[in-house]
Amino acid sequence: MNTTRISQTGSTTSAGAAVMLAGLRKHYGQVRAVDGVDLVIAPGEVVALLGPNGAGKSTTVDMLLGLTKPDAGTVTVFGASPHEAVADGSIGAMLQGGALLDDATVGETVAMVASLHRKPLPVAEALRRSGIEDLASRRCNKLSGGQKQRVRFAVALVSDPDLLVLDEPTAAMDVASRRDFWRSMHSFTESGRTVLFATHYLEEAETYADRVVLMRSGRVVADGSVAEVTSLVAGRVLRAAIPGATESVLRVLPGVSEVEVRGEQVSISSRDSDATLRALLQTFPQARDIEVAAVGLEGAFLSLTSDSAESGVTEGATR
Amino acid sequence: MSFGYLILELRRAMRSTRFMIFTIAFPVLMFLLYTGLYSGGHKSITGILMIDMTAFGALSGALFAGSRVALERSAGWQRQLRLTPLSGPAYLTAKGITGMMLAIPAVVLVPLVGALVEGVSLDATGWLRVVVGTWLAVIPFALIGLLVGQIGTPETMQPIMTIVMLVMSMLGGIFIPIDSMPGWMLDIAHVLPSYWLGQIARGAVTTDLTSSLGKAVLVLAAWSVVLAVAVVRRYRRDSARV
Repeated sequence: MNTTRISQTGSTTSAGAAVMLAGLRKHYGQVRAVDGVDLVIAPGEVVALLGPNGAGKSTTVDMLLGLTKPDAGTVTVFGASPHEAVADGSIGAMLQGGALLDDATVGETVAMVASLHRKPLPVAEALRRSGIEDLASRRCNKLSGGQKQRVRFAVALVSDPDLLVLDEPTAAMDVASRRDFWRSMHSFTESGRTVLFATHYLEEAETYADRVVLMRSGRVVADGSVAEVTSLVAGRVLRAAIPGATESVLRVLPGVSEVEVRGEQVSISSRDSDATLRALLQTFPQARDIEVAAVGLEGAFLSLTSDSAESGVTEGATR
Repeated sequence: MSFGYLILELRRAMRSTRFMIFTIAFPVLMFLLYTGLYSGGHKSITGILMIDMTAFGALSGALFAGSRVALERSAGWQRQLRLTPLSGPAYLTAKGITGMMLAIPAVVLVPLVGALVEGVSLDATGWLRVVVGTWLAVIPFALIGLLVGQIGTPETMQPIMTIVMLVMSMLGGIFIPIDSMPGWMLDIAHVLPSYWLGQIARGAVTTDLTSSLGKAVLVLAAWSVVLAVAVVRRYRRDSARV
Protein backbone atom coordinates (compact mmCIF):
# COMPACT_ATOMS: atom_id res chain seq x y z
CA MET A 1 0.00 0.00 0.00
CA ASN A 2 1.33 3.39 -0.89
CA THR A 3 -1.05 5.27 1.33
CA THR A 4 0.56 7.73 3.62
CA ARG A 5 -1.08 8.88 6.77
CA ILE A 6 1.14 11.66 7.97
CA SER A 7 -0.51 13.41 10.82
CA GLN A 8 -2.78 12.24 13.55
CA THR A 9 -5.25 15.01 12.85
CA GLY A 10 -8.65 13.49 12.81
CA SER A 11 -7.66 9.93 13.51
CA THR A 12 -10.11 9.46 16.32
CA THR A 13 -11.75 6.29 17.40
CA SER A 14 -14.36 5.16 14.93
CA ALA A 15 -17.16 5.65 17.42
CA GLY A 16 -16.70 9.42 17.58
CA ALA A 17 -15.83 9.87 13.92
CA ALA A 18 -17.97 11.94 11.59
CA VAL A 19 -17.03 9.69 8.68
CA MET A 20 -15.39 6.32 8.68
CA LEU A 21 -14.61 4.48 5.48
CA ALA A 22 -12.96 1.09 5.88
CA GLY A 23 -11.68 -1.11 3.07
CA LEU A 24 -14.04 0.51 0.61
CA ARG A 25 -14.10 -1.03 -2.86
CA LYS A 26 -16.21 -0.55 -5.95
CA HIS A 27 -15.51 -2.13 -9.31
CA TYR A 28 -17.31 -1.43 -12.56
CA GLY A 29 -16.46 -4.44 -14.69
CA GLN A 30 -12.68 -4.38 -15.03
CA VAL A 31 -12.38 -0.84 -13.74
CA ARG A 32 -11.47 -0.54 -10.09
CA ALA A 33 -13.14 2.81 -9.45
CA VAL A 34 -12.44 2.61 -5.74
CA ASP A 35 -9.84 0.12 -4.69
CA GLY A 36 -9.51 -0.08 -0.94
CA VAL A 37 -10.09 3.31 0.67
CA ASP A 38 -9.70 3.83 4.40
CA LEU A 39 -10.54 7.23 5.76
CA VAL A 40 -11.51 8.60 9.13
CA ILE A 41 -12.78 12.18 9.44
CA ALA A 42 -13.23 13.71 12.86
CA PRO A 43 -16.15 16.02 13.63
CA GLY A 44 -15.26 19.61 12.74
CA GLU A 45 -12.67 18.80 10.12
CA VAL A 46 -12.75 20.43 6.72
CA VAL A 47 -11.32 17.90 4.31
CA ALA A 48 -10.54 18.36 0.64
CA LEU A 49 -10.66 15.30 -1.58
CA LEU A 50 -8.31 15.76 -4.50
CA GLY A 51 -7.37 13.68 -7.47
CA PRO A 52 -7.33 13.68 -11.23
CA ASN A 53 -10.44 12.71 -13.21
CA GLY A 54 -11.24 9.06 -12.71
CA ALA A 55 -9.37 8.84 -9.41
CA GLY A 56 -12.52 7.58 -7.69
CA LYS A 57 -13.54 10.73 -5.85
CA SER A 58 -17.16 10.79 -7.03
CA THR A 59 -17.62 7.07 -6.51
CA THR A 60 -16.24 7.43 -2.99
CA VAL A 61 -18.61 10.33 -2.33
CA ASP A 62 -21.55 8.33 -3.74
CA MET A 63 -20.80 5.43 -1.43
CA LEU A 64 -20.43 7.78 1.53
CA LEU A 65 -23.90 9.15 0.77
CA GLY A 66 -25.42 5.72 0.27
CA LEU A 67 -26.19 6.40 -3.40
CA THR A 68 -23.90 3.59 -4.50
CA LYS A 69 -23.51 0.26 -2.79
CA PRO A 70 -19.87 -0.69 -2.12
CA ASP A 71 -18.65 -4.08 -3.35
CA ALA A 72 -16.72 -4.42 -0.12
CA GLY A 73 -15.96 -2.40 2.96
CA THR A 74 -18.03 -0.31 5.33
CA VAL A 75 -19.22 3.26 5.51
CA THR A 76 -20.20 4.85 8.80
CA VAL A 77 -21.44 8.39 9.25
CA PHE A 78 -21.67 9.52 12.88
CA GLY A 79 -21.73 5.86 13.83
CA ALA A 80 -24.71 5.06 11.61
CA SER A 81 -25.19 3.78 8.08
CA PRO A 82 -25.40 6.39 5.32
CA HIS A 83 -29.13 5.69 4.96
CA GLU A 84 -29.75 6.30 8.64
CA ALA A 85 -27.68 9.47 8.53
CA VAL A 86 -29.61 10.69 5.49
CA ALA A 87 -32.96 9.87 7.09
CA ASP A 88 -31.78 11.70 10.17
CA GLY A 89 -30.90 14.81 8.16
CA SER A 90 -27.33 14.74 9.43
CA ILE A 91 -25.81 14.68 5.93
CA GLY A 92 -26.29 17.47 3.44
CA ALA A 93 -24.84 17.08 -0.01
CA MET A 94 -24.22 19.01 -3.16
CA LEU A 95 -23.91 16.53 -5.98
CA GLN A 96 -21.95 17.06 -9.13
CA GLY A 97 -24.29 18.66 -11.65
CA GLY A 98 -27.13 17.90 -9.26
CA ALA A 99 -30.45 18.81 -10.74
CA LEU A 100 -32.87 21.55 -9.96
CA LEU A 101 -36.49 21.58 -11.03
CA ASP A 102 -36.91 23.91 -13.97
CA ASP A 103 -40.52 24.66 -13.21
CA ALA A 104 -40.07 25.53 -9.53
CA THR A 105 -38.75 28.73 -8.02
CA VAL A 106 -35.65 28.84 -5.84
CA GLY A 107 -37.76 29.38 -2.73
CA GLU A 108 -40.09 26.51 -3.60
CA THR A 109 -37.23 24.12 -4.31
CA VAL A 110 -35.59 24.78 -0.96
CA ALA A 111 -38.97 24.68 0.80
CA MET A 112 -39.77 21.36 -0.86
CA VAL A 113 -36.59 19.76 0.43
CA ALA A 114 -37.10 21.39 3.82
CA SER A 115 -40.59 19.91 4.04
CA LEU A 116 -39.11 16.43 3.74
CA HIS A 117 -36.76 16.85 6.68
CA ARG A 118 -37.71 16.58 10.31
CA LYS A 119 -35.80 19.51 11.76
CA PRO A 120 -35.04 21.81 8.86
CA LEU A 121 -33.70 25.33 8.98
CA PRO A 122 -36.23 28.01 8.16
CA VAL A 123 -36.18 28.36 4.37
CA ALA A 124 -35.33 32.06 4.57
CA GLU A 125 -32.36 31.22 6.78
CA ALA A 126 -31.03 28.63 4.31
CA LEU A 127 -31.40 31.13 1.47
CA ARG A 128 -29.67 33.84 3.47
CA ARG A 129 -26.74 31.61 4.39
CA SER A 130 -26.31 30.70 0.74
CA GLY A 131 -26.51 34.34 -0.26
CA ILE A 132 -29.55 33.93 -2.51
CA GLU A 133 -32.39 35.48 -0.53
CA ASP A 134 -32.94 37.91 -3.41
CA LEU A 135 -33.49 34.98 -5.81
CA ALA A 136 -36.27 33.29 -3.83
CA SER A 137 -38.99 33.91 -6.38
CA ARG A 138 -36.84 33.27 -9.47
CA ARG A 139 -37.51 30.11 -11.54
CA CYS A 140 -34.61 27.68 -11.44
CA ASN A 141 -34.26 27.65 -15.23
CA LYS A 142 -33.53 31.37 -15.18
CA LEU A 143 -30.39 31.13 -13.05
CA SER A 144 -26.74 31.42 -13.99
CA GLY A 145 -24.39 28.51 -13.37
CA GLY A 146 -23.03 30.10 -10.22
CA GLN A 147 -26.49 30.90 -8.90
CA LYS A 148 -27.59 27.31 -9.51
CA GLN A 149 -24.67 26.09 -7.44
CA ARG A 150 -25.74 28.34 -4.59
CA VAL A 151 -29.28 26.98 -4.78
CA ARG A 152 -27.81 23.49 -4.55
CA PHE A 153 -25.85 24.68 -1.56
CA ALA A 154 -29.06 25.95 0.05
CA VAL A 155 -30.71 22.58 -0.66
CA ALA A 156 -27.77 20.83 1.01
CA LEU A 157 -27.88 23.22 3.94
CA VAL A 158 -31.58 23.29 4.69
CA SER A 159 -31.62 20.07 6.70
CA ASP A 160 -29.14 21.76 9.05
CA PRO A 161 -26.67 18.90 8.60
CA ASP A 162 -23.63 18.11 10.74
CA LEU A 163 -21.74 16.83 7.72
CA LEU A 164 -21.71 18.59 4.41
CA VAL A 165 -20.46 16.70 1.36
CA LEU A 166 -19.72 18.77 -1.72
CA ASP A 167 -18.76 17.23 -5.03
CA GLU A 168 -17.03 19.88 -7.17
CA PRO A 169 -19.02 22.68 -5.53
CA THR A 170 -17.48 25.53 -7.49
CA ALA A 171 -17.44 24.00 -10.96
CA ALA A 172 -19.21 26.39 -13.36
CA MET A 173 -18.56 29.36 -11.09
CA ASP A 174 -16.57 32.40 -12.04
CA VAL A 175 -13.86 33.74 -9.76
CA ALA A 176 -16.11 36.16 -7.90
CA SER A 177 -18.87 33.61 -7.26
CA ARG A 178 -16.28 31.12 -6.08
CA ARG A 179 -15.02 33.59 -3.52
CA ASP A 180 -18.57 34.38 -2.40
CA PHE A 181 -19.37 30.70 -2.20
CA TRP A 182 -16.44 29.98 0.05
CA ARG A 183 -17.37 32.92 2.21
CA SER A 184 -20.79 31.31 2.81
CA MET A 185 -19.05 27.99 3.42
CA HIS A 186 -16.82 29.56 5.97
CA SER A 187 -19.70 30.63 8.19
CA PHE A 188 -20.93 27.05 8.08
CA THR A 189 -17.62 25.52 9.10
CA GLU A 190 -17.09 28.11 11.82
CA SER A 191 -19.91 26.52 13.77
CA GLY A 192 -17.88 23.33 14.06
CA ARG A 193 -19.53 21.37 11.30
CA THR A 194 -17.70 18.74 9.26
CA VAL A 195 -17.12 19.27 5.55
CA LEU A 196 -15.78 16.96 2.87
CA PHE A 197 -15.37 18.50 -0.55
CA ALA A 198 -14.02 17.15 -3.78
CA THR A 199 -12.45 19.75 -6.02
CA HIS A 200 -10.27 20.39 -9.01
CA TYR A 201 -9.13 23.75 -7.74
CA LEU A 202 -6.04 23.17 -5.67
CA GLU A 203 -5.97 26.69 -4.33
CA GLU A 204 -9.41 26.04 -2.80
CA ALA A 205 -8.03 23.05 -0.99
CA GLU A 206 -4.98 25.06 0.02
CA THR A 207 -7.04 27.93 1.38
CA TYR A 208 -10.05 26.25 2.94
CA ALA A 209 -9.16 22.70 3.96
CA ASP A 210 -7.65 21.63 7.26
CA ARG A 211 -6.69 18.43 5.63
CA VAL A 212 -6.11 17.14 2.14
CA VAL A 213 -6.78 13.63 0.92
CA LEU A 214 -5.22 12.82 -2.41
CA MET A 215 -6.63 9.99 -4.49
CA ARG A 216 -5.26 8.22 -7.52
CA SER A 217 -6.57 5.12 -9.29
CA GLY A 218 -9.13 4.43 -6.59
CA ARG A 219 -6.72 4.72 -3.69
CA VAL A 220 -5.68 7.32 -1.17
CA VAL A 221 -2.07 8.22 -1.96
CA ALA A 222 -1.57 11.01 0.55
CA ASP A 223 -3.47 12.31 3.53
CA GLY A 224 -2.55 15.17 5.82
CA SER A 225 -2.48 18.94 6.14
CA VAL A 226 -1.60 20.94 3.04
CA ALA A 227 1.88 21.58 4.42
CA GLU A 228 2.39 17.92 5.14
CA VAL A 229 1.21 16.73 1.77
CA THR A 230 3.29 19.35 0.06
CA SER A 231 6.37 18.31 1.99
CA LEU A 232 5.87 14.72 0.85
CA VAL A 233 7.13 15.70 -2.52
CA ALA A 234 10.81 16.37 -2.64
CA GLY A 235 10.61 19.72 -0.93
CA ARG A 236 11.86 22.20 -3.52
CA VAL A 237 12.27 22.81 -7.18
CA LEU A 238 15.55 24.29 -8.39
CA ARG A 239 15.71 26.04 -11.72
CA ALA A 240 18.80 27.40 -13.45
CA ALA A 241 20.40 28.05 -16.79
CA ILE A 242 23.41 25.75 -17.02
CA PRO A 243 25.25 25.58 -20.35
CA GLY A 244 26.65 22.13 -20.97
CA ALA A 245 24.73 20.31 -18.22
CA THR A 246 23.52 16.80 -18.94
CA GLU A 247 20.76 14.89 -17.26
CA SER A 248 22.97 12.02 -16.19
CA VAL A 249 25.36 14.29 -14.34
CA LEU A 250 22.56 16.21 -12.66
CA ARG A 251 20.82 13.03 -11.52
CA VAL A 252 23.66 11.96 -9.29
CA LEU A 253 23.78 15.23 -7.37
CA PRO A 254 22.72 14.79 -3.73
CA GLY A 255 18.99 14.98 -2.96
CA VAL A 256 17.83 14.98 -6.57
CA SER A 257 14.62 13.14 -7.32
CA GLU A 258 13.73 14.38 -10.78
CA VAL A 259 15.55 16.24 -13.55
CA GLU A 260 14.32 17.98 -16.63
CA VAL A 261 16.74 19.53 -19.16
CA ARG A 262 15.57 21.75 -21.99
CA GLY A 263 18.55 23.21 -23.75
CA GLU A 264 20.26 25.29 -21.11
CA GLN A 265 17.22 25.41 -18.88
CA VAL A 266 17.38 22.89 -16.10
CA SER A 267 14.65 22.04 -13.61
CA ILE A 268 15.59 19.82 -10.69
CA SER A 269 13.26 18.46 -8.04
CA SER A 270 15.15 17.97 -4.84
CA ARG A 271 14.49 16.55 -1.42
CA ASP A 272 17.35 18.62 -0.03
CA SER A 273 17.71 21.75 -2.09
CA ASP A 274 20.59 23.16 0.00
CA ALA A 275 22.79 20.11 -0.60
CA THR A 276 21.80 19.96 -4.25
CA LEU A 277 22.59 23.62 -4.79
CA ARG A 278 26.03 23.41 -3.16
CA ALA A 279 26.97 20.41 -5.24
CA LEU A 280 25.52 21.97 -8.35
CA LEU A 281 27.60 25.11 -8.02
CA GLN A 282 30.74 23.07 -7.51
CA THR A 283 30.10 20.92 -10.56
CA PHE A 284 28.75 23.74 -12.75
CA PRO A 285 30.24 27.06 -11.66
CA GLN A 286 28.82 28.58 -14.85
CA ALA A 287 25.21 28.11 -13.61
CA ARG A 288 23.19 31.31 -13.56
CA ASP A 289 19.63 32.63 -13.02
CA ILE A 290 19.22 30.24 -10.13
CA GLU A 291 15.76 29.99 -8.55
CA VAL A 292 14.70 27.80 -5.67
CA ALA A 293 10.96 27.43 -5.09
CA ALA A 294 8.67 25.37 -2.92
CA VAL A 295 6.84 22.63 -4.78
CA GLY A 296 3.43 23.76 -3.59
CA LEU A 297 0.30 21.71 -3.54
CA GLU A 298 0.12 21.73 -7.30
CA GLY A 299 3.55 20.20 -7.61
CA ALA A 300 2.68 17.65 -4.95
CA PHE A 301 -0.57 16.90 -6.71
CA LEU A 302 1.08 16.36 -10.06
CA SER A 303 3.88 14.35 -8.61
CA LEU A 304 1.69 12.15 -6.41
CA THR A 305 -1.08 11.55 -8.89
CA SER A 306 0.75 11.20 -12.19
CA ASP A 307 0.80 7.76 -13.76
CA SER A 308 4.55 7.52 -13.37
CA ALA A 309 4.17 8.27 -9.68
CA GLU A 310 3.47 4.64 -8.75
CA SER A 311 6.96 3.95 -7.41
CA GLY A 312 7.98 7.54 -6.84
CA VAL A 313 5.16 8.11 -4.43
CA THR A 314 6.13 5.33 -2.13
CA GLU A 315 9.68 6.52 -2.15
CA GLY A 316 8.83 10.16 -1.63
CA ALA A 317 5.95 9.68 0.71
CA THR A 318 7.03 7.03 3.14
CA ARG A 319 9.35 8.10 5.83
CA MET B 1 -43.87 12.56 2.81
CA SER B 2 -45.41 15.83 3.76
CA PHE B 3 -48.27 18.02 2.76
CA GLY B 4 -45.93 20.82 1.70
CA TYR B 5 -44.21 18.50 -0.73
CA LEU B 6 -47.51 17.55 -2.39
CA ILE B 7 -48.56 21.18 -2.65
CA LEU B 8 -45.41 22.07 -4.56
CA GLU B 9 -45.89 19.09 -6.88
CA LEU B 10 -49.37 20.39 -7.68
CA ARG B 11 -48.23 23.97 -8.14
CA ARG B 12 -45.54 22.85 -10.56
CA ALA B 13 -48.08 20.89 -12.60
CA MET B 14 -50.39 23.89 -12.76
CA ARG B 15 -47.57 25.85 -14.39
CA SER B 16 -47.34 23.43 -17.25
CA THR B 17 -49.22 24.54 -20.35
CA ARG B 18 -49.41 20.94 -21.51
CA PHE B 19 -51.23 20.05 -18.32
CA MET B 20 -53.61 22.99 -18.53
CA ILE B 21 -54.44 22.30 -22.18
CA PHE B 22 -54.85 18.53 -22.11
CA THR B 23 -56.54 18.08 -18.79
CA ILE B 24 -58.62 21.22 -18.41
CA ALA B 25 -59.19 23.29 -21.55
CA PHE B 26 -59.26 20.47 -24.09
CA PRO B 27 -61.89 18.24 -22.42
CA VAL B 28 -64.22 21.14 -21.69
CA LEU B 29 -63.97 22.59 -25.19
CA MET B 30 -64.31 19.20 -26.88
CA PHE B 31 -67.37 18.48 -24.77
CA LEU B 32 -69.01 21.74 -25.86
CA LEU B 33 -68.02 21.21 -29.50
CA TYR B 34 -69.10 17.56 -29.72
CA THR B 35 -72.38 18.27 -27.99
CA GLY B 36 -73.14 21.00 -30.52
CA LEU B 37 -72.17 18.71 -33.42
CA TYR B 38 -73.53 15.31 -32.49
CA SER B 39 -76.04 15.34 -29.66
CA GLY B 40 -78.93 16.70 -31.72
CA GLY B 41 -80.68 17.50 -28.47
CA HIS B 42 -80.57 13.90 -27.24
CA LYS B 43 -79.90 14.08 -23.52
CA SER B 44 -78.34 10.61 -23.40
CA ILE B 45 -75.78 11.50 -26.10
CA THR B 46 -74.90 14.71 -24.24
CA GLY B 47 -74.51 12.61 -21.11
CA ILE B 48 -72.25 10.08 -22.82
CA LEU B 49 -70.12 12.87 -24.29
CA MET B 50 -69.88 14.45 -20.85
CA ILE B 51 -68.70 11.19 -19.33
CA ASP B 52 -66.22 10.54 -22.13
CA MET B 53 -64.66 14.00 -21.90
CA THR B 54 -64.56 13.78 -18.11
CA ALA B 55 -62.77 10.46 -18.48
CA PHE B 56 -60.32 11.87 -21.02
CA GLY B 57 -59.40 14.88 -18.89
CA ALA B 58 -59.05 12.75 -15.79
CA LEU B 59 -56.88 10.11 -17.44
CA SER B 60 -54.63 12.80 -18.97
CA GLY B 61 -54.16 14.37 -15.55
CA ALA B 62 -53.45 11.03 -13.91
CA LEU B 63 -50.88 10.08 -16.58
CA PHE B 64 -49.20 13.47 -16.39
CA ALA B 65 -47.66 13.31 -12.91
CA GLY B 66 -46.02 9.94 -13.45
CA SER B 67 -44.53 10.99 -16.74
CA ARG B 68 -42.61 13.68 -14.86
CA VAL B 69 -40.70 10.91 -13.11
CA ALA B 70 -38.64 10.32 -16.26
CA LEU B 71 -37.58 13.97 -16.37
CA GLU B 72 -36.69 14.11 -12.72
CA ARG B 73 -34.82 10.84 -12.92
CA SER B 74 -32.63 11.86 -15.82
CA ALA B 75 -32.01 15.36 -14.47
CA GLY B 76 -30.65 13.92 -11.24
CA TRP B 77 -33.39 15.35 -9.05
CA GLN B 78 -34.21 11.83 -7.86
CA ARG B 79 -30.64 11.48 -6.65
CA GLN B 80 -31.04 14.71 -4.74
CA LEU B 81 -34.25 13.43 -3.20
CA ARG B 82 -32.50 10.24 -2.16
CA LEU B 83 -30.46 12.45 0.14
CA THR B 84 -33.62 13.38 2.02
CA PRO B 85 -35.74 11.20 4.31
CA LEU B 86 -38.19 10.73 1.41
CA SER B 87 -37.93 7.07 0.51
CA GLY B 88 -38.23 5.75 -3.03
CA PRO B 89 -41.65 4.17 -2.41
CA ALA B 90 -42.81 7.42 -0.79
CA TYR B 91 -41.61 9.35 -3.83
CA LEU B 92 -43.60 7.10 -6.15
CA THR B 93 -46.62 7.28 -3.86
CA ALA B 94 -46.40 11.06 -3.87
CA LYS B 95 -46.31 11.06 -7.67
CA GLY B 96 -49.30 8.71 -7.75
CA ILE B 97 -51.27 10.90 -5.36
CA THR B 98 -50.30 13.95 -7.40
CA GLY B 99 -51.63 12.21 -10.50
CA MET B 100 -54.94 11.60 -8.75
CA MET B 101 -55.06 15.23 -7.64
CA LEU B 102 -54.44 16.39 -11.20
CA ALA B 103 -57.45 14.36 -12.33
CA ILE B 104 -59.73 16.43 -10.10
CA PRO B 105 -60.12 19.57 -12.29
CA ALA B 106 -61.54 17.49 -15.16
CA VAL B 107 -63.98 15.47 -13.03
CA VAL B 108 -65.30 18.69 -11.53
CA LEU B 109 -65.28 21.06 -14.49
CA VAL B 110 -66.67 18.89 -17.27
CA PRO B 111 -69.71 17.70 -15.26
CA LEU B 112 -70.21 21.26 -14.04
CA VAL B 113 -70.36 22.49 -17.62
CA GLY B 114 -72.65 19.57 -18.37
CA ALA B 115 -75.07 20.57 -15.63
CA LEU B 116 -74.95 24.33 -16.05
CA VAL B 117 -74.43 24.81 -19.78
CA GLU B 118 -75.72 21.66 -21.44
CA GLY B 119 -78.56 20.99 -19.07
CA VAL B 120 -77.59 17.45 -18.09
CA SER B 121 -79.66 16.39 -15.12
CA LEU B 122 -78.90 13.32 -13.07
CA ASP B 123 -79.87 12.10 -9.64
CA ALA B 124 -77.35 12.25 -6.80
CA THR B 125 -76.14 8.68 -7.42
CA GLY B 126 -75.66 9.51 -11.07
CA TRP B 127 -73.52 12.54 -10.34
CA LEU B 128 -71.59 10.53 -7.76
CA ARG B 129 -70.79 7.94 -10.44
CA VAL B 130 -69.73 10.62 -12.92
CA VAL B 131 -67.58 12.66 -10.54
CA VAL B 132 -66.25 10.35 -7.82
CA GLY B 133 -66.57 7.14 -9.81
CA THR B 134 -64.68 8.44 -12.83
CA TRP B 135 -62.08 9.98 -10.54
CA LEU B 136 -61.37 6.72 -8.72
CA ALA B 137 -61.42 4.83 -12.01
CA VAL B 138 -58.29 6.65 -13.24
CA ILE B 139 -56.12 4.93 -10.60
CA PRO B 140 -54.82 2.52 -13.29
CA PHE B 141 -53.78 5.52 -15.39
CA ALA B 142 -51.86 7.11 -12.53
CA LEU B 143 -50.04 3.76 -12.30
CA ILE B 144 -49.40 3.66 -16.07
CA GLY B 145 -47.91 7.14 -15.72
CA LEU B 146 -45.55 5.91 -13.01
CA LEU B 147 -44.54 2.89 -15.07
CA VAL B 148 -43.82 4.95 -18.18
CA GLY B 149 -42.00 7.52 -16.06
CA GLN B 150 -39.72 4.81 -14.73
CA ILE B 151 -39.04 3.21 -18.08
CA GLY B 152 -38.89 6.23 -20.36
CA THR B 153 -36.26 8.87 -20.88
CA PRO B 154 -37.08 12.55 -21.44
CA GLU B 155 -36.73 11.88 -25.17
CA THR B 156 -38.89 8.75 -25.40
CA MET B 157 -41.46 9.81 -22.83
CA GLN B 158 -43.37 12.20 -25.06
CA PRO B 159 -43.96 9.70 -27.90
CA ILE B 160 -44.79 6.92 -25.43
CA MET B 161 -47.32 9.13 -23.67
CA THR B 162 -48.86 10.19 -26.99
CA ILE B 163 -49.26 6.57 -28.05
CA VAL B 164 -50.75 5.59 -24.69
CA MET B 165 -53.22 8.48 -24.83
CA LEU B 166 -54.19 7.76 -28.44
CA VAL B 167 -54.67 4.03 -27.94
CA MET B 168 -56.56 4.52 -24.70
CA SER B 169 -58.85 7.26 -25.97
CA MET B 170 -59.43 5.97 -29.51
CA LEU B 171 -59.66 2.22 -28.98
CA GLY B 172 -61.08 2.55 -25.48
CA GLY B 173 -64.16 4.28 -26.84
CA ILE B 174 -63.58 7.82 -25.64
CA PHE B 175 -63.18 9.53 -29.00
CA ILE B 176 -64.74 6.80 -31.09
CA PRO B 177 -68.23 6.02 -29.73
CA ILE B 178 -68.45 2.36 -28.82
CA ASP B 179 -71.79 1.95 -30.61
CA SER B 180 -70.11 2.85 -33.91
CA MET B 181 -67.23 0.38 -33.40
CA PRO B 182 -66.92 -2.75 -35.56
CA GLY B 183 -66.89 -5.99 -33.59
CA TRP B 184 -63.14 -6.56 -33.65
CA MET B 185 -62.52 -3.07 -32.36
CA LEU B 186 -64.99 -3.58 -29.57
CA ASP B 187 -63.11 -6.76 -28.65
CA ILE B 188 -59.92 -4.73 -28.29
CA ALA B 189 -61.78 -2.05 -26.37
CA HIS B 190 -62.87 -4.61 -23.80
CA VAL B 191 -59.26 -5.24 -22.86
CA LEU B 192 -58.41 -1.60 -22.23
CA PRO B 193 -58.90 0.11 -18.87
CA SER B 194 -60.16 3.22 -20.66
CA TYR B 195 -63.20 1.27 -21.89
CA TRP B 196 -64.07 0.33 -18.32
CA LEU B 197 -63.32 3.87 -17.18
CA GLY B 198 -66.08 5.00 -19.54
CA GLN B 199 -68.36 2.24 -18.24
CA ILE B 200 -68.16 3.41 -14.64
CA ALA B 201 -70.59 6.27 -15.20
CA ARG B 202 -72.23 5.24 -18.47
CA GLY B 203 -75.02 3.42 -16.66
CA ALA B 204 -76.08 6.70 -15.12
CA VAL B 205 -77.02 8.22 -18.49
CA THR B 206 -77.91 5.33 -20.79
CA THR B 207 -78.72 1.66 -20.83
CA ASP B 208 -77.25 1.22 -24.30
CA LEU B 209 -74.06 -0.90 -24.38
CA THR B 210 -73.72 -0.64 -20.63
CA SER B 211 -71.93 -3.15 -18.44
CA SER B 212 -72.70 -3.53 -14.78
CA LEU B 213 -70.91 -1.18 -12.42
CA GLY B 214 -69.60 -4.12 -10.43
CA LYS B 215 -67.93 -5.65 -13.47
CA ALA B 216 -66.31 -2.33 -14.42
CA VAL B 217 -64.99 -1.91 -10.90
CA LEU B 218 -63.61 -5.44 -10.88
CA VAL B 219 -61.80 -5.06 -14.20
CA LEU B 220 -60.31 -1.71 -13.17
CA ALA B 221 -59.27 -3.15 -9.82
CA ALA B 222 -57.56 -6.04 -11.62
CA TRP B 223 -55.74 -3.58 -13.89
CA SER B 224 -54.67 -1.58 -10.85
CA VAL B 225 -53.23 -4.62 -9.12
CA VAL B 226 -51.31 -5.75 -12.20
CA LEU B 227 -49.95 -2.26 -12.85
CA ALA B 228 -49.06 -1.70 -9.20
CA VAL B 229 -47.05 -4.92 -9.20
CA ALA B 230 -45.30 -3.83 -12.41
CA VAL B 231 -44.46 -0.42 -10.92
CA VAL B 232 -43.05 -1.95 -7.75
CA ARG B 233 -41.03 -4.54 -9.66
CA ARG B 234 -39.64 -1.90 -11.97
CA TYR B 235 -38.74 0.26 -8.99
CA ARG B 236 -36.94 -2.60 -7.27
CA ARG B 237 -34.95 -3.36 -10.39
CA ASP B 238 -34.12 0.31 -10.82
CA SER B 239 -32.88 0.82 -7.29
CA ALA B 240 -30.97 -2.46 -7.20
CA ARG B 241 -28.78 -1.11 -9.98
CA VAL B 242 -26.90 1.31 -7.76
